[in-house]
Amino acid sequence: MLVVDDERSIRLLCRVNLTASGIEVLEARDGREALEVVRESRPDLVLLDVMMPEVDGWTVARELARDERTRDIPIIFLTARADPADRRRGQQLGGVGYLTKPFDPVAIGEYVEDTLQRLEKGEREQLSREISSERER
Amino acid sequence: MSTAERSDAADRARRLQRVAELLAEAVTPQEVLDAILNEGVRAAEARAGAIGVLSEDEQSIEILAQQGYDPSVMSGWESFPVAAPTPMSQVVRTGEPLFISNLADRNELFPSMADEGQDGHALVIVPLAVEGRAFGAMSLSFDQDIDFGLERREMKLTLARQAAQALARSRLYATEQALRERMTFIAEASEVLASSLDYNNTLRRVAQLAVPRLADWCAIDMVGPDGEIERLAVAHQDPEKVRWAYELQERYPPEPDAPTGVPHVLRSGEPEFFPEIPQELLDQSIGDDEELRRIVDELGIKSAITVPLIARNRTLGAFTLIAAETHPPYTQADFELSLELARRAAVAVDNARLFREAERGANAAQALAYVADGVVLLDGEGSVRHWNPAAAAITGVSEQEALGRPASDVVEAWDALTAHVPLVAPGGAARPVTVPIVFDGRERWVAVSGVDFGQGRVYALQDVTEEHALEKTRSDFVATASHELRTPLAAVYGAVRTLRREDVELSDEDQAQFLEMIESEATRLARIVDQILLAGQLDADAVELDVTDCDPAEIAARVVDSASLHLPHDIRLSVDADGATTIACDENKLRQVLVNLVDNAVKYSPGGGHVEIRLRGGDRRCLIQVADEGLGIPFEERERVFEKFYRLDPQQTQGVGGSGLGLYICRELVERMNGRLSVESEVGKGSRFTVDLPVRR
Repeated sequence: MLVVDDERSIRLLCRVNLTASGIEVLEARDGREALEVVRESRPDLVLLDVMMPEVDGWTVARELARDERTRDIPIIFLTARADPADRRRGQQLGGVGYLTKPFDPVAIGEYVEDTLQRLEKGEREQLSREISSERER
Repeated sequence: MSTAERSDAADRARRLQRVAELLAEAVTPQEVLDAILNEGVRAAEARAGAIGVLSEDEQSIEILAQQGYDPSVMSGWESFPVAAPTPMSQVVRTGEPLFISNLADRNELFPSMADEGQDGHALVIVPLAVEGRAFGAMSLSFDQDIDFGLERREMKLTLARQAAQALARSRLYATEQALRERMTFIAEASEVLASSLDYNNTLRRVAQLAVPRLADWCAIDMVGPDGEIERLAVAHQDPEKVRWAYELQERYPPEPDAPTGVPHVLRSGEPEFFPEIPQELLDQSIGDDEELRRIVDELGIKSAITVPLIARNRTLGAFTLIAAETHPPYTQADFELSLELARRAAVAVDNARLFREAERGANAAQALAYVADGVVLLDGEGSVRHWNPAAAAITGVSEQEALGRPASDVVEAWDALTAHVPLVAPGGAARPVTVPIVFDGRERWVAVSGVDFGQGRVYALQDVTEEHALEKTRSDFVATASHELRTPLAAVYGAVRTLRREDVELSDEDQAQFLEMIESEATRLARIVDQILLAGQLDADAVELDVTDCDPAEIAARVVDSASLHLPHDIRLSVDADGATTIACDENKLRQVLVNLVDNAVKYSPGGGHVEIRLRGGDRRCLIQVADEGLGIPFEERERVFEKFYRLDPQQTQGVGGSGLGLYICRELVERMNGRLSVESEVGKGSRFTVDLPVRR
């Protein structure tokens, strides 16, 4: 999967903990880099920060949804933006998960695996709806 | 003629002459009466005399004065009909004198008077006439029986002619005098009424003016706003009595349904005139109240006039004039004078009220012209009746364009603006609703409240765009500050959670990175918290400065050193300290400012580049500049970046985080050190912030 965040510390946290869960992790430092990596490597999932230099997370999500080849790649937002309005925006942009900072990196591997399993069961829409229900999974 | 008779005749002539002289001098009716009854009766060698005149309606004879009669004899004869079978009535009726020698003759001529004055003797009644018309008669009674010879008869007739002329002249004079007094009174009252628009005061003065010339008592009652009777004034010469009258009014308030008096006049708009107060009327209004009877007796009301004050078909109040202890009963002339007075007073009151209303209207319009809130008055049909300048400014539609047209035609957004505004009744607490509206292409936030007063609606519009913007920046600040806190918090928390993970073996390198992360992110957290606190202190003016001589080159070097520790690889940071001079400032605060400026320079250079601190000293000032090659600041934002909570790119689409406080704090600190902080910038090329501080003295 791809971890996108401009903060090195967040990327480090995600990489170490996801790798421990047996997940292969790619990294991108901003939105532009994220789009390049996604197009090149087609990850199974994108963990996406919102507030990033130049091309932000919302833009990345929109760009991915516009492109047929990347449309189906699920996105989990990982952001400091905790407003209900932001959650609704994440839902509208087709996210399948929404994590707010600060988050527990130890549980993130389980969260990602759970999401992937439910996606396999075809619960994509339900996952998306749960984003705006404020209650974190 | 004998010597004695001649002497008598000469004597009578002298006395007649004396009477004539006195009468010529007499001016008032009373003086004339005095002259006739004192000198005339004596000149006629009579024992007693009386003078009676026709009443105004010519139906009765009223005895004006008498001299020498026993009051008990005269009692009951103050006034008697012209038609009565009495000597005086007959003389007035016929205009012919009566010379009666003795009581027997009188009783024969006037049998009905046989029981009156049994000790009487000769009696003469002569008519008082002018221009052949008898207006009264004079009686002369003698203490012996007399056969009146021609000469004596002639003497009495001469006396009567003189008396009649003098009396008529004096009455004419009195009438004229009264007329003049009335005219003077009306003139004075008019002057008072016109003197001021404070009609309460002018009416009180008119009441004072009426006493005692026109009345013993004068009262003015007005119709209050709710139709109640309000006593405006009571006048009497004795202030003690005025107080008493007010007490009385309180104890016996007017019955609104009373069949007579002020309530009736106010109700009907018809005047009341009682030349004489009928006893039944008094009894009726007194009832069984003995206390009230005592009071009414004490008042001694003889005659009363109550006239309404009517203007434009509305009864505004009533004037009451009362003749009691001193004033003679009212005549038709008095009544007419009262009507005239009331008419003038009513016009004055009406004018004053109209003027005040107009003035109030003008004042209100003036106030509305200056008030900052938009005020819009709509009539029952929803058409604009008032549109003040503030309403014009908020909506961008002028008063001329708006007046007379439906509000929804005037302003397209009107219905959207007012749809959710709760309309309250007058006096209710109007709750404004804040609505975003596009007027004239500009988005405005308008707080709208409305009052429905039955015949229409009043809306108050308040442009709260700026307050709303401020509120928005505040909430943006809270949002961004919390975002800013969340990221380092996530790093610290995440690092600790990861380090304590037992199922994963971390490499030494990762462990070291996590520890370093905890340290640097905790420092970042502390700095954000410090900034928030410092901004609060600056607001409260509670920042203390320790100004000493400092070497800016040294401070700059230390700032660069510590910043270099965690610099992005594509940023080059350097100091150009040529020409630095010692400055007077607070070293810690200056370092804080430079750390912030360098931090900003790095943060806003996402594509890397050169960041440099340059020092340029002069005789009086030293410039410390922080230049970068980053994003730059759009021209129109160049001053706003120093505003509190203001953030370039608040949506953070550029991803540059911050509390929105850094530059605000920098400028505040620099200015407190007697310096200036400014910026030059070009979008895409970079920015240069300049701290301008005074050199050491």
